[in-house]
Amino acid sequence: MNSDRFALTIDEYLAEKDVMFYLEDAITQLLEHKEEYVQFGVSRYLAEYFNSVRHGSHVLFREFGYIKATPHNRASFIRIFWKCYRQIGKNGVLLSALEYSSLLQLICPDFPVEVAQGAARMVLMDDALDCPMTFADFLHALQIQLYFEEFIESITVIYQDLLSGKSPNTVIVPTSTSMEQLPPLATSETAAQEGVDASAFQDAVEAACERYKHRHPPAPAIGEILQQDERVTLYGFLMALAKHEGISEEIGSLPSRANLLIDPEMDQELERLIAQISVSPTSSNSHTAAHRESGRKASPRKSLHHRKRIEMESDGSTEETDSSEN
Amino acid sequence: MAEKRRSGVSMAEPKSAKADSEEEFLSQLGVAALLRGSLLKLVEARPEDPIGFLADHFANLASGSEAADCGDGEPSRTVQDRLSQALWHLNLAHHSQRSAFNNNVRVAYELLMTGGQHLRPGGGVRGRIYTELLRSLCSEAGLSSSTSAPLLRRIQCQDHEAVPFELFRQGVLICTVFADYVRKSQSLYLAVSGGSELPAQRALCQAALGALRDALDTAQCADTARYLEASAKIAPCTLAQAMASAQSSYEAQAGTSMDPEEFEKEAAALFIARVQPVS
Repeated sequence: MNSDRFALTIDEYLAEKDVMFYLEDAITQLLEHKEEYVQFGVSRYLAEYFNSVRHGSHVLFREFGYIKATPHNRASFIRIFWKCYRQIGKNGVLLSALEYSSLLQLICPDFPVEVAQGAARMVLMDDALDCPMTFADFLHALQIQLYFEEFIESITVIYQDLLSGKSPNTVIVPTSTSMEQLPPLATSETAAQEGVDASAFQDAVEAACERYKHRHPPAPAIGEILQQDERVTLYGFLMALAKHEGISEEIGSLPSRANLLIDPEMDQELERLIAQISVSPTSSNSHTAAHRESGRKASPRKSLHHRKRIEMESDGSTEETDSSEN
Repeated sequence: MAEKRRSGVSMAEPKSAKADSEEEFLSQLGVAALLRGSLLKLVEARPEDPIGFLADHFANLASGSEAADCGDGEPSRTVQDRLSQALWHLNLAHHSQRSAFNNNVRVAYELLMTGGQHLRPGGGVRGRIYTELLRSLCSEAGLSSSTSAPLLRRIQCQDHEAVPFELFRQGVLICTVFADYVRKSQSLYLAVSGGSELPAQRALCQAALGALRDALDTAQCADTARYLEASAKIAPCTLAQAMASAQSSYEAQAGTSMDPEEFEKEAAALFIARVQPVS
């Protein structure tokens, strides 16, 4: 927010950071978990709630509706997903969309499979959708898919229109059909020319951003991407958005690609685990490798409970160590 | 606003019996008043980070009531706690937001006045706490202690003195304005040095400082006329002229330079000279 915040009406000021939403959710949560929270006193409970909102740990284990509700929640969720599972990236393990979806459901019980699949479609350019992906690719695609969900719906419609030759200026309100129900885009167009004319697409996208006022990537970034080639495909565009460092920086959840896999605390913990396993009397040489593998695979879950405890007990003090990585 | 709170909650449960018991539960806890108070404070202060503000606000309330619950005979909060709370309040609004700023000063004053082992005759904040607060204000604003020391010497009070509200308010205002002033003079230095890493030329710095001194010296007429005249003296064209003539004379000299610390000290001195010392 800028210093113009004093010129806003009360409702506008409160709406900028979704204050009323968080207050209402805090009270609803208090009512749903009376027994747990009442012993602390309401002020302490509210202080903890808002503190966790401030630190971004409030979305952990919450329902998808809550995660989707505000931009801050979406960004916080991406950050939590990154922190919980970045070890996967370190080991170079590739996972499929369904496997990532399971991981997502560990930290958000009702996380829809379609969202993970949408992100996968971006990475794989709508082809061979069972193909496994790297953590970094999937994470960045998920970030765009979640944070700009409404924007993506709009431009998909725009793209379809341009592809089928319809004028993009007709006002079409995107219906609530999820992305997987749209017809596959590998149509007869691909034989002759791939995608649509980039500048026409850019004009239509910018007009849509004006009209619909939903959250969208910064216009200069969009322009930068669309000015590179004469023609553009939808997934080419979306993947370029996912890979764009500037957009990722704007959202502010993730460090730069170079720093994505750095996690000194987890490295230490893993080394301890591995040391314990190797000296265990039941392991033989041939099993050591498998144990190492399972030791690593088990750790996201262990770290999850470990971190959940840390985050709930120490009021987000893990934030201090993480900030040095940014 | 209490109705809004209740309706916001009860709309989640269609069964009226459950809604009733929830309302009762909430009113037992005094939730409506709590939220109303916090929203009023929030909207008045309009901090940049409302979520953080609410987190701190409720934490303050919680530690206040938690401390009240455990035993008497101990001071309910240490001086350090009250100081940090007062500082937090003072940082909420910029001094240019006059009414919000004044409100926050009032809150900070009352925070620092309460408690303590014995009542001061005539009320007021103890001099030592006042001085400590001013010192923290300056250092939190990023001023080095060498820069702020001469100012503090002028306006601080004796440890045992009781500081009345008007003096408290003036002192706080002076410190916050001074912090802004020093920041501005730092960027002025950067502008004079042309943004390079080399220190700025001494003659140019002195020309800039001279213009600043001239502007601050305008004291003769009524307030508004004074501001207009002072701004004219520090207008870009005037300053450019002063610096251009300094530049031409500089070419005759060897290239002496002025480093940023000295510039800051000189600029600060201009400000401090005009601050009335507390008798």
